[in-house]
Order: sequence, then structure tokens, then C-alpha cells
Amino acid sequence: MALANPDGMAERPVMGINGQWPLPTLNFTKGDRVIATVHNQLGNQSTSMHLHGLFQNGTNDMDGPVGVTQCGIPPGSSFTYNFTIEQPGTYWYHSHTRGQYPDGLRGQFLVHDPDSPYIGQYDEEIAITLSDWYHDEMPGLLSHFISVANPTGAEPVPNSALMSDTQNLSVAVQPGKTYLFRMTNMGAFAGQYFWIEGHTMRVVEVDGVHTEPAETSMIYLTAAQRYSFMVTMKDNVEGNFAMVGSMDTDLFDALPDGLNTNVTGWLVYDDAADKPAPALIDAFEPFDDYTLVPQDGLEIYDHVDHSIQLDMKMDNLGDGANYAFFNDITYVEPIVPTLYSVLSTGANASNPTIYGVNTNSFVLEKGQVVEIVLNNDDAGKHPFHLHGHNFQVVWRSEENDGYWNPDNTSAIESFPRKPMRRDVVMVNPQGNFVIRFKADNPGVWLFHCHIDWHTASGLVATMIEAPLELQSSMKVPADHYQVCQDSGTPTAGNAAGNTVDVLDLTGEHKSPAPLPAGFTARGIVALVFSCLSAFIGMAVIAWYGAAPIAVRKPSVAAGKVTTN
Amino acid sequence: MAPNVFAVPVFFICFRECLETSIIVSVLLSFLKQTLSPVEDKSIHKRLVRQVWYGVAAGLLICLIVGGAMVGAFYTLQKNTFAGTEDIWEGVFGIIASIIITIMGAALLRVSKLQDKWRVKLSQALDKKDRDMKGSAGSRFKQWCEKYAMFLLPFITVLREGLEAVVFIGGVGLGLPATSFPLAVICGLGAGCLVGYLIYRGGNSAHLQIFLIISTCFLYLVAAGLFSRAVWFFENNTWNKVVGGDVSETGAGAGSYDIRQSVWHVNCCSPQLNGGGGWGIFNSIFGWTNSATYGSVLAYNLYWLVVIAGFFLLRFKEQNGRLPFMKAKTLTEDGDSESSPEGSVFERNVEGKRGREMTEPASSMVRELRD
Repeated sequence: MALANPDGMAERPVMGINGQWPLPTLNFTKGDRVIATVHNQLGNQSTSMHLHGLFQNGTNDMDGPVGVTQCGIPPGSSFTYNFTIEQPGTYWYHSHTRGQYPDGLRGQFLVHDPDSPYIGQYDEEIAITLSDWYHDEMPGLLSHFISVANPTGAEPVPNSALMSDTQNLSVAVQPGKTYLFRMTNMGAFAGQYFWIEGHTMRVVEVDGVHTEPAETSMIYLTAAQRYSFMVTMKDNVEGNFAMVGSMDTDLFDALPDGLNTNVTGWLVYDDAADKPAPALIDAFEPFDDYTLVPQDGLEIYDHVDHSIQLDMKMDNLGDGANYAFFNDITYVEPIVPTLYSVLSTGANASNPTIYGVNTNSFVLEKGQVVEIVLNNDDAGKHPFHLHGHNFQVVWRSEENDGYWNPDNTSAIESFPRKPMRRDVVMVNPQGNFVIRFKADNPGVWLFHCHIDWHTASGLVATMIEAPLELQSSMKVPADHYQVCQDSGTPTAGNAAGNTVDVLDLTGEHKSPAPLPAGFTARGIVALVFSCLSAFIGMAVIAWYGAAPIAVRKPSVAAGKVTTN
Repeated sequence: MAPNVFAVPVFFICFRECLETSIIVSVLLSFLKQTLSPVEDKSIHKRLVRQVWYGVAAGLLICLIVGGAMVGAFYTLQKNTFAGTEDIWEGVFGIIASIIITIMGAALLRVSKLQDKWRVKLSQALDKKDRDMKGSAGSRFKQWCEKYAMFLLPFITVLREGLEAVVFIGGVGLGLPATSFPLAVICGLGAGCLVGYLIYRGGNSAHLQIFLIISTCFLYLVAAGLFSRAVWFFENNTWNKVVGGDVSETGAGAGSYDIRQSVWHVNCCSPQLNGGGGWGIFNSIFGWTNSATYGSVLAYNLYWLVVIAGFFLLRFKEQNGRLPFMKAKTLTEDGDSESSPEGSVFERNVEGKRGREMTEPASSMVRELRD
């Protein structure tokens, strides 16, 4: 932990790596083998590391999410991630422990490709990130977010926006040159609009997928999304130009006074010249990523082997707190990380029930074309991320379109021949989307909303791909199991840790009971009792009212009264 | 349904508020008519009736002024000054009203048993000028309250109901066109007054004692509901502070109530939402709520317990001249005693004399009024 003050407004503890914050931007080349050992020196929290966007084909145990492919790394323990990178593009790495990375444990990584189709079209690369930022630490914010005192599930509003973990960033550029910007949104919550005054952008990559160039003046990145775009500098230097990241306030429950939702940087042609404040704009007109065409020309998966429907909603449970649900089930981490359940349950690993009621588990067969239909029953935008894959976005509905109708032939006919591919896609409020991917990567892969608040409140599903194949091909290193031992977490059995009878889930982690619907026994007793009190009361009144005043003997001193 | 000329929520709000008021006013008026008008004390009758109507008018005037100011402030300044403290106002008014109705109800019942005597005492009380100037501020205040009880009760009731109605209409009416208000308001008020009138007429023709018993039962039902509601409002206020907003905006579903305090909750049938409809009427008369808390349920039952115990005590005192576990008090010149004078004076009454002799022990009779 260290102290930092990136927006100049509040100093706060942050989680760094090797004594450094912001985290370093890592540069790899396609084909690199990476061996990274994480030593947890946080002191009071366990941790983990996920390299967002990497397929980890054959190395599912290096993916990072706690409770899924590994145990949390307790303070003082170490864990080694060992994998090969076969995919070029712009990515980021972050903690995958519940509600942790917004405290600073996130950074960008780039994979360079000597065979990139765009080599020679640009002069230099510029790595740049966008993020939201909170002044308070996550544990406190999270405990209030999921509590009886927050029944509407209002997410905490960020305190400011950052560009490359700072504000008023200056990027020196030279006239006439073309730069390839590689941008990641490392935020916890806020999507951001991004534009550069006086310049347009040519989008060439999203989430590690090269695309046919698309020219635009404004892009929108949800949390966790990446864009690479080329910008050609002007030939005649006319000063410096502002570039703006602006948080999407549609997501915010309230807009506190004094909140600046924008972060500004500058393309600096001339150090001596002014850095002008960005101009106000009338409306946001971002580029629609649905229209991108992947550069490799991969055609749409026409035939679907396995279609999964996920209906999402937000609702309250019996503890009064607000949770997020897929198909009426909110995600709760199992006792045994799901991957270890796969590896230790033999033939039963193909039975989704052994993974627990609250893990939203789906078993996929190797080679299947899988379709996920996501119906959004909430009035908010949500960015969904699938581990281990990128997916074809064959359809995204407009706002308020409701559920996806599989008989909607006109929509189906309009599916793009070569649909856009990426690994984080946004769904519109009260809308839906349809994505398809090939299950060619045995492993346990999470599908979840990348708003960290919603990941914590359960908007997570688990894709268990080719479990039996995993059993024969996966060999988890000893230090992974050691970390489980260090924290006292079992590593075998079903979601409840039961190795004897895997169909018996007694003792598994479950979500709080639902709210009582209507009258419970307590309520009926109270109502009946109250009615009884009223009736008895009225009887007493009637009795009193009907009884005449009694004749009494006068008391001893009565004589005094009668005299005047 | 023609929402553009008739706003149903507004109708129900007006009906409900007017109903509570007219029950109380009509019971008072009917009682006065029955006990006072048969005798030559027409002037007393007139005075007290006027007191009642003054109370109603004063309450109306004040709540129109205050309500108008609040609505004006809300619409022009966009500041909902009432919202933050609304629940506390409701709670405090509710408790005050409940206590007043409780005391008045018992007094009415009791007094009817001493019809003739009471009539005379009343006139004495009204004519009394500087007799008790030497009393303490507390007792003078008490006497003033007795003297103007017929003014106070309608006044407080109308004030409370009227303010409630203004606030509710202000809240509900935001989305409704202005043309839908007048008809709904008139019909609501009219319906409430009609019910009151029927009670009045019914009361006049019925046997007084039966009428009083039935109407007192209703009064106590209303008071019990008020007491329970008041506690509910205090708890709702606390919940608002916890959540940090106006909870009623979340509707009647999850999040609009504190699950930890809840005894029962149904998502329908809310007396608060959208004017409340029929459930609002249920709420006014019986204190029904769709979301009961430990506090509100206990308050309701405790209220009835106290009332039941109170009536038993009253009866005991009447029969034995003292409260249980206490000795019978002796008398002094001024008739300070709480028990004996009434018994002895009543005795003389029973011996057959009516009217004239009542005028004699004036101060002790005045004391009687308080009992």
C-alpha cells in the first residue's frame, strides 16, 4: 500500500506493485512466455491477478478470478502465473478479488505484434488509459453499497476522472506524424466518452481484435474496454489541442455538487503555447462499435449448438440489500474454486448442479458454437465480459426493446456477415444482445458485468467448458494449492467441499433468503392480536358506557360539602 | 375514468381527511344537541356549537394559509421544505390528536351519565370569570382547556387533517393537470361532509347513550389508529435518514421499509401511495398500514391496553370513590377532593331534585367537569 493523490483533491492509500503506483504499463511481444510471481504484501487483504483479455488456452489455472480458477492469495503468500501470450493487442491487468482493483491495483499491458497489418502506417505508439477515481477506500464503499441502508442499490458516484492515472496530461506530438493510441478504460464503474479537439480517430483494434479502419471523432469506452486508434497530426502547428475523457453520467444515481466528470489532456505540439480549455459540446455522438468489421474477416457462426439465455435484474433479498441476478440467481463464490471442483469430481464434472446453486454454472462441450442471449431487465447500461474468449456481437438492441425474440426474423436477417468481435460489450437499458463464440478453450470462464459493484453484488455466471477434457489436460502447480492451504480453503469436491457425495450440496455458500412475500406467521399473529385488542377495547367502552353511575354512601365528611 | 377533469387520488385524499374531521365534529354537535337543547340552556348550546364551528373555521383558515404558503414555496422555489420533516409533523400531530380524542371520548361518555348536572356545571364554567385567578398556571391552563374544549378539539383535528391533505395533494398532484383538481376536491369534501351529516342526524334520532357508545367506539378506533400511525411515522422518519432520501419515492416495494423492523409488509394496499385510495380510508379509521413495524403494532395494542385499563379504573373510582390501592380522600371547604363531592351531590340529585339545587356548590361542580 502507498499514498497517492492523482486528481490533486485528496490523498488516499492505494495498492501498488513493487512500491510503485500507478502500476507500470507492461509491454510484451506476441509469443512471449510470461512468468509473474505475485507476493502479497498488502497486509490485510488477500489478492489475485487477472490479465484481462488473454485467452489462457491450456492455462485456465492462470486466469486469476478468486473462487473460480484459484484461491485468494493471503497476505504473506506467493503465487506464480506462467503462460504464453499468442494474441496481439491492447489489454490490462487487475486484481480479481472481490471489490479490490478500484483501490489502484490495475494497469495496462500491450502485446506488440511484429506481423501487425498496421505496421508502417504509424510512427509511434502512445499508451494511454482512462479511469474513474474514488477518494474513499473500497472496503467501506462496498459494505455500504451492499447493505440494508442502500435498498435501491445506488452505486457510489466516483469523485473524479483520470487520464493515465493523472489529470492535465501532456502528450508531446510532432506535426505530420501519425500516432497509434492504445487506450484502456481501467475504471471500476464509469464508461467514458473520448474525443480529441481538431482531430479525428481511425479505430483499428478493439479488445485485442484488429478491425477494418473506421473513422470517427468520438468513441465510447465502457469499463474494461480497449480501443486502438490512429491519429494523424496536423502539418501546420496551430497550437495545442485538448483531448477529453468524459464520464457517462447516465450511470450515476446522483450528481453531487462540484463533481467534475471530465478529465482533460493535451496533444502538445508547442510546449510554449497555451493549453486551451476544451470547448463545451452540445451532445455526445460516439462511434457505435457494433458496426466494426474484424480485419481477419471471420464470418458469423450461423449454426448455434448451445444457446444460453441470461435474464438479468436487480432486486432485494431478505437482508434488505440490493443484489444482481441472472435468471433469479445471484452469484456467490463457492467454498471450493470451481476449477478445482472440475478436477476432483470425475464424471460428475459434467453435471452443472455440483458447482452449487449460486454459481450460475453452464457446462459447454468442446467445439460447440455457443450463443449467449442477454436480456436486461434493468434501467441501466451494463458492460459484460467473458473470460477466455472474445465473441461475435451479432445483435445489440436499442434501449427499451425488452427481451430478445428468437422469432424476430427481420433482425436475424440483418445480422452482419462478419460481426464485430471483442471481449467486453455493453447492453442498453431494458434491451438485449446476442453474442456467439466457439467453445475451443477448455476451462472455467466467468461471464460477468464489469462494473465492479455489480460483480460484487452477484451479476456473474460461470461457463464450464469441456470439463472432462480439462481433467486430463490440466495440471495445477503446487504453489496454487499451497495458497489454498495457507488460507484454509479446501481444494477438492463440489461447491460445498463434499468429496464423498458430490450431489450433496449441504453447507454450500448461499445467498440470503428472499424477502418474505406478504404475511408471515409473525404478521398474521400481530394483525389478529391487534384486531382482538380493538374488539375487547370496544366491548369495554360499551360496558362502561352502558353502566349507570353507582349510588354510593357519602363519606365521613360529607356534611361539610352540603353546607354553603 | 376521466383523469383530466377528475383526479381520483385527490378525491380519495379529500374524502379521507374530511371523513375523520366530520366524524369528530358531528359527534360533538350531535352530543351537544341532545344534551343541551331539550332544556332552557339554549344559550349554552348555542355557545358551544359556535365554539365547535369556530374551531373548524380557525383550523381551516390556518391550514389554508400555511398549506398555500408551502405549495407556493414548492412550486416557485422548487424547495420541498416539508419533505424532510413531514414524518415528524405527522407523528407529533398524530399523538396530540390521539391524546385529545382519548380524553374527550371518555369525558363525553362519562358526562352523558350525569346529563342534567353537567349541563348546569357547563354554564357555570362558561360564566365563571375571575374566580380561579389564584390557581397555578398549570391549573389555569387546564381550566382554559376545559372551557374551550369544544373549540380545541375540532381546531386541532381540522388543522392536522387539512395540512395532511395539502401536503398529500401537493405531492400527488404534481403530475396531474390543474383542471382535474376542483371537481375531485369538491366531491371529496362533499362526500366527507355527507357522512358527517348522516352521523349527526342519526345521532339526533337515536337513543343518546347508544349513539354515544357507538360513536365513542369509532372515536377510539380512530385514536388508536392515529397513535399507531404516529409511531409509524417516527420510524419512517428514521428510515428516511438511514437511506438518505425520500423513501416514499421507491413505492411500496422492497427498500421502502426497514426489513429489520417489519412485522408485516405487502407490496399492495399502501395508504400512502398515490393518495391511498380505499386503503387510505382504512388507514384513517383503523390505522391500517401495508407495512407494519414492531413499533406501530405495539403502539396500537398498548393504546388499547391503556384505554381498557383506564375505563376499568374510571368505573372503579365511580363505584368506590377512590382509585385502587388508594384511600378515599376527605373533603375540604373548596371541594378539593376528587371523588366524594360528585357522589354526594349526585346522591342529592337522585333524591329527586332536578335543576335548581344544582346551582349551589359551584366550585366543586366545576372540578367535576375535569373528571
